[in-house]
Amino acid sequence: MPRSVLNNTVVPLLRQLTKKLGPQQAKNELRWMADHVRKAIPTKLTAEHATSARLWRDQPAPSAEETEVASKRFSSVQWAWLRQAVHDRVETNKPLQYILGTQPFGNASLLTRAPVLIPRWETEEWVLKLSDMIRAENTGLLNILDACTGSGCVALGLACALPRESVHITGVDVSHDACDLAIENLLRNKKAKQAVEFQRLDLNEQGVASELKSRGMWDMVVANPPYVTPNEYAELDPDVKDWEDVRALVPGDPMDVDQSGLSFVVRLAQLARELGLADGESTNLPRLVVEIGGAHQVDGARQAMHDNGFNLTEVWKDMAGIDRVVLGYHKT
Amino acid sequence: MNALRALRTRPMRALVRDVRLSGLLNTGMTQSYATTAQSKPALPPGSELAGKSNLTAKIHEKLKIMQYKHNKIMEQMTGDISGMEREDMARLAKEQSSMGMIVVPYEHLLKLYSELIELEQMMSADDPDLRRLAREERQEVLENVVTAENDIINALLPKDSAESAGAILEIRAGTGGDEASIFCGDLLHMYEKYAQLRKWKLETMSMDSEGDKIKEIVLKVSGRGVFGVLMFESGVHRVQRVPATETQGRVHTSTATVAVLPHAANVNIVIKESDLRIDVFRASGKGGQHVNTTDSAVRITHIPTGISVENQQERSQIQNRERAMQVLRARMYERERSRLDLERRASRNKLIGSGDRSEKCRTYNYAQNRVTDHRINFSMFNIEGMMNGTALQIVIDQLRIQHDLDELASMDNFDDISPPNQ
Repeated sequence: MPRSVLNNTVVPLLRQLTKKLGPQQAKNELRWMADHVRKAIPTKLTAEHATSARLWRDQPAPSAEETEVASKRFSSVQWAWLRQAVHDRVETNKPLQYILGTQPFGNASLLTRAPVLIPRWETEEWVLKLSDMIRAENTGLLNILDACTGSGCVALGLACALPRESVHITGVDVSHDACDLAIENLLRNKKAKQAVEFQRLDLNEQGVASELKSRGMWDMVVANPPYVTPNEYAELDPDVKDWEDVRALVPGDPMDVDQSGLSFVVRLAQLARELGLADGESTNLPRLVVEIGGAHQVDGARQAMHDNGFNLTEVWKDMAGIDRVVLGYHKT
Repeated sequence: MNALRALRTRPMRALVRDVRLSGLLNTGMTQSYATTAQSKPALPPGSELAGKSNLTAKIHEKLKIMQYKHNKIMEQMTGDISGMEREDMARLAKEQSSMGMIVVPYEHLLKLYSELIELEQMMSADDPDLRRLAREERQEVLENVVTAENDIINALLPKDSAESAGAILEIRAGTGGDEASIFCGDLLHMYEKYAQLRKWKLETMSMDSEGDKIKEIVLKVSGRGVFGVLMFESGVHRVQRVPATETQGRVHTSTATVAVLPHAANVNIVIKESDLRIDVFRASGKGGQHVNTTDSAVRITHIPTGISVENQQERSQIQNRERAMQVLRARMYERERSRLDLERRASRNKLIGSGDRSEKCRTYNYAQNRVTDHRINFSMFNIEGMMNGTALQIVIDQLRIQHDLDELASMDNFDDISPPNQ
């Protein structure tokens, strides 16, 4: 291939990204990709190579300013990565989080990998709000079950935002990929090491509740369960549909004709009751915290919680104004 | 810190000009304080021997009053203290110490003046050895006079606590299209290099740029005394040069606006949560699991004042929120501070400092290799040194001299010279 100086410029990359994302977001994503490639593919050797190459040809070594300017430029390896990244992003709709491999979430930094669900900012928002609530209550050690944990974001987000010895969180997921990724994330965020554990578990199996109950007292169940309806799934962007696990998005089995997307929320409410969260004395903290897809699921979720003994329910909106979380309390 | 002090007092020293020996010395000496009190305010005897100084007669009057008050407080404190409350004692002690910071150097200065008078008498003695001795001693005394005056001036000038803190630096491209954006990049380079020289830490809060062309950038500069140095950079910077984008070699004029806000890290700005409206201003449809957007742009609006800040620098909305809050705090602090400032110096025509952001402050003319600061009419012929950050200190020094002179002059017009508030 002819080597032209124009092979490695930012403008065609920006143009490609703008087609997909619009000008502002294209700039942002390119900047994040550039920041990532500088850290992931270091160029220290390039500077030494340039110096030795010059000296070999009996030319003066590059001056300090030259090396500084050159260190800001990308090496050919980095350019190759950038071109590949932009190609993937635009042609195959690979999500940026999968390309970069990481996503910040609260105080934690999480790895992301297909097909495990990418942590959303709405989830981050309510996890931090919940952790503020828990911190304010300042009760003893809370035993929390994080269902459908995926990358482990809810569990790790809570654990990193709360002081030690205030929570013990068990994250479960039906997918092996998710559990593997969650354990990697646990190793990555050492702050949560004592407070969190992950396990592969299918919550639809028989006897799950009694098995969990035998481990001890539970105080809370939190979850970001699948809540996309089958109809909505067909309309989703290829960014989501082609890359993220359908089990993380759409609840229920193939035999189920439930169009509300709430079947797993119902199952969680039942599970919470079976774990004994609908009994006991009332506290200021919710017993069941579940993320939902919007106003169309509020009534169904609240009803499911009421049916299972959680007599007081609350709804939180996210920063975009959409009903995002339903909380169930047990008040006597 | 000592280096900074030296930077401030060095220019001041240059202001105390040549010694003028007038033949009217003898007559000046016979005036006493008592006789001049009723007539117009006069300088203490012997001060004319020190040459022209920045302490005018009015300031001397005020200092005399302060000295009198200080002595009264001292009497009160050393006299009968049995009858006083503890808080009265504490208040007196505080007043005494804060006044002492001005009065002690002032008394020292008066002593030096009287020494000067004696030395004058010695100078007209018969013995040549005595004369030589007197001349040498007088040189030393004059230097001490300069130091004492500087101490008094430093103690008198109102201290803005914001000056010792960090700053938030905003650079925006003005008129001129791409060339203005390129110039923004050049200014950013200048400030980065300057910050390196001063060993300050720079952090980008938000940046709207395409490569070297920067439409807008907000930086946080951390270090000691940062705002006191950078506050003179506020204003419109104008550049006259042949742009890199120009095909025919014509000279173009473009501008960039720089705004410097004090970064109040731990100032008590109370921002009520309920006054804030936080939104993600590009919400897309259903959100949640339906979308895996990377757009985490956040906009915070402070409803009572209408100040709104956006940030989309980071990938996490919580980090963007934090940055936007920092900039919001800085803007609110700046608003509050400039309001207070304006009230305090309503009648004074303030040239520089945290002046109006729309005023022209500096012109960079590449063809003539000249940088001119319009507020003090100061020109320097070293564009490369300037854009390298190395020559910026020279301009800032000059601005600081003028700023201090203005403040001193303003104190002459006001009737309240108060002791410095810690």
